[in-house]
Amino acid sequence: MALASGRMRLQPLLRQGARLAASLQTSGRGAAALEGDAFSAASLATERPAAVTATWGRSLGTAAALADEEPPPAAQPPAEDEEEVGINLKGVHMLGRPLYLDMQATTPVDPRVLDAMLPYYLDQYGNPHSRTHMYGWESESAVEKARQQVADLIGASPKEIVFTSGATESNNIATKGVAHFYKGKKRHIITTQTDHKCVLDSCRYLQQEGFDVTYLPVKQDGLIDLELLKNTITPETVLVSVMAVNNEIGVVQPLAEIGQICRERKVFFHTDAAQAAGKIPVDVDAMKIDLMSLSGHKLYGPKGVGALYIRRRPRVRIEAQMSGGGQERGLRSGTIPTPLVVGFGAACSIAQEEMARDRAHVDRLSQRLLDGIRSKLEGVVLNGSEEHRYPGNVNLSFAYVEGESLLMGLKEVAVSSGSACTSASLEPSYVLRALGVEEDMAHTSIRFGVGRFTTEEEIDRAVELTVAQVNKLRELSPLWEMVQEGIDIKSIQWAQH
Amino acid sequence: MFSDSNLSPFFSETAKAMSSSREVLSLYRDFLRVGRKFSNYNVREFVKRRAREGFREGQALTDPATISAAVKQAKDQLAVAKRQSVVYSLFAQPVKSIMELKTAVGDQSVTVAKA
Repeated sequence: MALASGRMRLQPLLRQGARLAASLQTSGRGAAALEGDAFSAASLATERPAAVTATWGRSLGTAAALADEEPPPAAQPPAEDEEEVGINLKGVHMLGRPLYLDMQATTPVDPRVLDAMLPYYLDQYGNPHSRTHMYGWESESAVEKARQQVADLIGASPKEIVFTSGATESNNIATKGVAHFYKGKKRHIITTQTDHKCVLDSCRYLQQEGFDVTYLPVKQDGLIDLELLKNTITPETVLVSVMAVNNEIGVVQPLAEIGQICRERKVFFHTDAAQAAGKIPVDVDAMKIDLMSLSGHKLYGPKGVGALYIRRRPRVRIEAQMSGGGQERGLRSGTIPTPLVVGFGAACSIAQEEMARDRAHVDRLSQRLLDGIRSKLEGVVLNGSEEHRYPGNVNLSFAYVEGESLLMGLKEVAVSSGSACTSASLEPSYVLRALGVEEDMAHTSIRFGVGRFTTEEEIDRAVELTVAQVNKLRELSPLWEMVQEGIDIKSIQWAQH
Repeated sequence: MFSDSNLSPFFSETAKAMSSSREVLSLYRDFLRVGRKFSNYNVREFVKRRAREGFREGQALTDPATISAAVKQAKDQLAVAKRQSVVYSLFAQPVKSIMELKTAVGDQSVTVAKA
């Protein structure tokens, strides 16, 4: 019944939409958009008739008005929602918003950052590349101030900063850009097995183009072997790309030593510092870094903005990926998003100012988390080097617990089993496997991220909930029972079925 | 816990160097007041903690020029906090953080729908 009426009401609208689309044929874009909307509305009609009027009314408001029909009733919130407390998402009902401990995935925007950004969403909307009027000038000066703030954080000159859409784009430009520019002379690239997917994937792409790529293994603590790096560099090597702070295990690579080796061998050194900048001191000159990728939303700035540092002396040259208006000295065409860049700049400046305070806070809380969990549970392993790490990233494996069950049971704590990019898959993390973590332990890892806005109470709650959940799951586990009885699980010969 | 009264001995000591110790104290109270207004649990707690840290650090300052610079910076930051507490309240989430709910561990605060 509802389906039929939904369809009936749609028919004239669809016809109207089609006529409108036909009349808009001249402007290809409008027609395409309308057709797309008509399509989605039509498919919705067969599936969820109740939602149709609302979708239709919103997406094709003009067409509806032209059809001279009664305006579709506005979508009203269902009355029962008022009585129900909490959130319903993905089949899970929660009374409150979970406490957030996933700071490596993204960080909340600092209110001071938002405060800097908002004027550029309101009155100061000029295109920073407009040279003919005051709107452009004020945006340009805001962008240049942000460039200075970003440069200051890493000890660079503002002329060496190129704004991008984020660390993924920066990593792509750095690896592919350098490789392409110098392809006539050198065709070998070195990276690590634990680098971010976007570096690994860019390298994979370059391999298909005929470049040689070496994926350096890491030691058990997640650090690279400097001797191995030295021996891997050949006269053909053009670029070494090593992540500064690992996004999954928080291990800090010896950047200064790697930079020294690369400089001696006249190889460019790129580092993905998305997780490092603003959290640990980074200086491009002291560490002899030639290219560095930065991201806004990992340091309490907005999403969708990042930067690439490109050294000027000795000069690093890259081939641009984006063709266009020649913004950012032709290295990254496209209008600079002033509000985002301003927010990124403010976030860098705040991070620099707050680094010592943030660090003390994060150190204290992550120690509290680690101590809390370790004192109440056995069979907990901290993944990655205990010593060379950013403490805000605590990656733990819980023996004899299945990771997905643990995450399911910890819905009040927003944590992840590894990087957000791969959190949809059930595969154990490639980073942990590169460390040589056993399959079963790699399957039970949980990454706790502590940051500027985390509170002591949240840590205590997270410890309580994790301990309770792990104990609950272990009680159900026959393996755990056997371990408690003193049976060595590894010695068991499992029968084949 | 740290209370406002703990600050008074310091403020009276450096009162000579400062424009007014009372001004600083009221600035601190303003920070705590505006901090409480944030609708977001984490920001609320952060403003409280950051104000406490900042004013504690200020206790060590002796140079009048540095002190007045710190006071000026605090005033600017207070203005930011005031504006942002309004912005946050405009977009306040109807559902609070679980940290604000009075549920103990083991309470049914999460239920998974049966398919």
